[in-house]
Amino acid sequence: MKTSSILGLNSRRALFTGRYNTRKAKNIANSKIQTAKVLKNNNVPTPQIIHKFKKYEDINSFDWNSLPDKFAIKPSRGLGGDGIIVVKKKIENGKFLTTSREEKTLEDFKLQIIDILEGAYSMNSEPDVAFIQEYVGRHTAFRKLSFRGTPDIRIIVFNKIPVMAMLRLPTKESGGRANLHQGALGLGIDLATGITTKAIQYNRPIIFKPNTNKKLNGIKIPFWNIILETAVKAQIVSGLGYAGVDIVMHPDKGPMVIELNAQPGLSIQLANMEGLKKRLERVDELAVINVDHGIKIAKSLFASKFVDRVKYREDTPVVKAVEEVLLKDIKGNWHKFLAKIDTGAWSSAIDITLAKKLGLLRKNKIITSRKKLSSLGEEERPVIEVNLKLSGKRFKTNVTVADRKLLRYSVLIGRTDLQGFLISPEIDKVNLVKSKWA
Amino acid sequence: MNPIFSGGPIYNAIVSSIASGVPENTIILLLLLPIVATVIAATRQIIGIRGFGIFLPAALSITFVAIGPILGILLFTAIVIISTIVRIITRKLKLKLQYLPRMALILWFVSLGILGILFASPYIKYGPLLNVSIFPVLVLTLLVEDFTKIQLGKSFKTAISLTGQTLVLALISYIFLTYQPFQAFVLANPEITLTTTFVINIILGKYLGLRFMEYIRFRKLIKS
Repeated sequence: MKTSSILGLNSRRALFTGRYNTRKAKNIANSKIQTAKVLKNNNVPTPQIIHKFKKYEDINSFDWNSLPDKFAIKPSRGLGGDGIIVVKKKIENGKFLTTSREEKTLEDFKLQIIDILEGAYSMNSEPDVAFIQEYVGRHTAFRKLSFRGTPDIRIIVFNKIPVMAMLRLPTKESGGRANLHQGALGLGIDLATGITTKAIQYNRPIIFKPNTNKKLNGIKIPFWNIILETAVKAQIVSGLGYAGVDIVMHPDKGPMVIELNAQPGLSIQLANMEGLKKRLERVDELAVINVDHGIKIAKSLFASKFVDRVKYREDTPVVKAVEEVLLKDIKGNWHKFLAKIDTGAWSSAIDITLAKKLGLLRKNKIITSRKKLSSLGEEERPVIEVNLKLSGKRFKTNVTVADRKLLRYSVLIGRTDLQGFLISPEIDKVNLVKSKWA
Repeated sequence: MNPIFSGGPIYNAIVSSIASGVPENTIILLLLLPIVATVIAATRQIIGIRGFGIFLPAALSITFVAIGPILGILLFTAIVIISTIVRIITRKLKLKLQYLPRMALILWFVSLGILGILFASPYIKYGPLLNVSIFPVLVLTLLVEDFTKIQLGKSFKTAISLTGQTLVLALISYIFLTYQPFQAFVLANPEITLTTTFVINIILGKYLGLRFMEYIRFRKLIKS
C-alpha cells in the first residue's frame, strides 16, 4: 500500500479534524452529557442518563436508594474510558458488583463522583460533571466474544458517509474495557455486509481470539444497516464533519450511540488493513443528499472483495403462498416439490407416501410423535427430521408426517419454519400450481 | 566567532547590550530557546516522539543546563519513584483520599524527599548537589503532577513511556543548549538562526506526511 493512502496524526489534524470539526461541535463531542442531549433532541438512540452531579450538594440530595441494580458512573469529559465504574449487580449488605468483579459500596461511588467533580479524569484537571447512566450490557451476538465488558463498534463517518468501521472486544488484559491501548481486540468490518474481516491486538494482527480457537473473521454483526444509519445520523446532528461514532448494542433496544469522538484514533486502519486517507479523499466534497444516500455510497465504494461470495441479500427473502421447496432424500439427493405456505399451521407437514418414497420414514428416523386433532379425529402422527431449501435458504427442521393424499400439496410449510421470510399472498398459477388430479 | 554577515542589526544590538552589562548567558539562552522549541517540535512532528507538550521538555532541558544532566535525571527519577511509592501506599492502605489532597500529599512527600537528598549532600560529597537552586527543583516537581495524573488514569506503562520520551526530548535539547561551538555560532549569527528556525517551523507546520514512528506503527499496512 502507498504511504499516501494512510492517515497519520499530521494529516488527520490538517486535512480533516482541523478543517471540518468546528469548535462548537468539538465541545459537544468532548462532553458526554452534551452529546447525550443533542442526540436525544434529534431522536438518535443513546443510553439514558439517570442522574447528573454538577455540585457536591448533588451527591447528598440524590436519593441513593433509587439507584437501579445495573448502572454506570461516568465523568462527562473523561479521556479514554478512565474514571468509569460499571455496576452489573446489587449484592448483599448494600454492596454492588462491578463488571470487573469488584465489590463497591455507596461510599465508593460518592468518592468516585467527588474525584470526577474535582477533575481527576478530565483534560487539564478541569472541574467536571459526573453522571449515572443506564447499563447497556452485552448483546447475545457478542456474549461469547467479549470478556465481561460491553463491546462497541467504532464507525468513522465523514461527510454523511461511513468510511471505516471496527468492532472492539474487551479482553482480560483490557480489564473488560473496549480500549485498544489497554489490549482490547480491534476487528475490521466490511462496510457492505457488516461481517468482520481482520483483527488486531496491540496493533499486531491476530487470527484467533487469544487463548481460544475462535476465529475472529467472518462474524456477522446484527442490525448492520441500523448501526450505519444511527452512526450517520449522529455525525450529522453533532455538527462534526469528521467523527468517530461509538455504537453499543443494547440487548433489547438495539444500536445506541454511546460516545462521539472529534479526533478518532488511527489504529482502525490496522484492524481493517486499509488506508483511511485514500478512502476519505475518495468521498471528500461529494454532495450527499441524505442518510441512505451516504450509506449506499459507502457500501458500493468500500465493499470488501469477498462480498460477492457472501450470500448476501439486502432485503428479506419473499416466498409466495405456493412455493417450490427442495427436499433431501435418504441418499442425499435433492428433489423439487410444491409446498403450501401456511401461516395458519404451527409446524410443517409432509405426505406419508412422499416421506416413504424419499426414504425418510423409517423407524429409526422417527424422532417423536404428536397427537393431532384433525377433521379425521384424534390421531398420532410421527415427526421426522428433514433437510429442506426454501427460497435459497437451507435448513433442517422437524415435520409431522400425515396422510395428505386428498390434499392439493404434499408438503406444507408452517410458521416455525417461516422465520425470516416475507410472505406474498399471490399464487403463481402459470408456473407453479398444478392440481394433483389434473 | 566571527559573524557570517557582519553588521546585522540584531548582532549589533547584542554587542552593545553586552557592553552595557546585560549578562551574555541570558542572551544566549533567549536565542537558543526558539531553537530548542523547534527541535522539540521537529522530533514530535517528524519523528513522532510524544511527551508532555512543548513547555515541559524545554523547561526540563534548561533545568539540565542549570544543574547538569546527571543530577537532573537523578533528581527526576527520585521524584518519580517517590510519587509512585506514595501512590501505591495510599492505594494499599485504602486511604481513599480525594484528588487534590492526594496530589498535595504526593508533593508533600516529594518536597521531603528532595530535602532529604539536600540534607545528605555534605556526606555524599557530590559537588553539583550543593548548587541546586529552587527553580530547577520546582520545574521537576511540576513534572510530577503530569506524571501522576497520567499514572492515575492511564496505565503505568504509558506513564513511564511518556516520561521517558519527555526525558529524551529534554536531553536532545540539552545538547543543543550546551554545545559550545553552536552557542558561539548562534551568538555571532542571530539573524541567520532566527530566520532559519522561523522557516523550519513554517515547513514543519505544513508537513502532512507520516511521522517516522507511524512508519513503524503502520509497517504491516505499508507492506500489504
